[in-house]
Amino acid sequence: MRLIFISCIMATAILAGCASTNQRVLDADTGTQLQKRSYQSRVFETSDKEKVLRATISTLQDLGFVVDRADLTLGAVSATKVGVHRITMTVTVRPQGSDRMLVRANAQFNITPIEDPKQYQDFFSSLEKSLFLAAHTEG
Amino acid sequence: MKKMVAATCVGLLLAGCAVQPPPNTFALTPELLQQRQLETRRYDDIKEVDLLSASSNVLQDLGYNLENSETKLGVLTASKQRDATSAGEVTAALVLALLGSRRPMAMSKDQTIRVALVVRPVNDSNGKASESSHLVRVTFQRVVRRTDNSTYAETLKDEELYRDFYERLSKSVFLEGHKL
Repeated sequence: MRLIFISCIMATAILAGCASTNQRVLDADTGTQLQKRSYQSRVFETSDKEKVLRATISTLQDLGFVVDRADLTLGAVSATKVGVHRITMTVTVRPQGSDRMLVRANAQFNITPIEDPKQYQDFFSSLEKSLFLAAHTEG
Repeated sequence: MKKMVAATCVGLLLAGCAVQPPPNTFALTPELLQQRQLETRRYDDIKEVDLLSASSNVLQDLGYNLENSETKLGVLTASKQRDATSAGEVTAALVLALLGSRRPMAMSKDQTIRVALVVRPVNDSNGKASESSHLVRVTFQRVVRRTDNSTYAETLKDEELYRDFYERLSKSVFLEGHKL
């Protein structure tokens, strides 16, 4: 009896840790849209979109990623790093006003979204070094 | 027994469904910067578009099919599928079989090799992009499928591979320069 009870608790624990299909499709169980945007974005004081994109590509290569695709018009770069794990990342660069660029990144680790703000902070600080520009948080 | 179940329970609770990446995944380490040296070469007296054209020519020499390109950003990506059978693995499997192993050893069967080649201008001391001096950086990765259909992936870091690649690119750049 006690064993059944414990098994039930265990099963609930496992299920609680996971999400439904809808939650998976929308990544809805992982904080608000605004929170995500905030830690996944930085602003750079430059009007040169191409320069920021080229520096982003260069940073991704420095970090061991192989570029999958890039698009200047859209301002997007996707890259994948393989090895023990597989990390896929998309970075977009969008003009904000006439003299600023908003860089936004999202990444996944194997089959899980990366949601630790520290990881993004590390990425942006690597990008800063390649751009010779300081990154600002939005607002 | 009860303790074990409880421990498993706690373990599962903590693990949930998610695994997070190791720290320093996105930080630049000295090893990574050393890898950059290996993967990069400088080419002078050639325009970016000509360097890209020479590069795509080399990738064709090496049997790659172009996957994607954005010439405005100096990016080319290409891939090819090839056999991945290795003599060492076949020998090992044979020895195991001779020793009476019942389960056949999974061996590498085939592989998809991907390459990304990026050209960027060298910046002068004022941060202005040069018209005629560029850096080429190439990176290779491959996904290998074994005989039991499992796969593994790796980034290629062999110094020899990069040296050989850039020898071929230098030749191609020379030919491009002379429009041969």
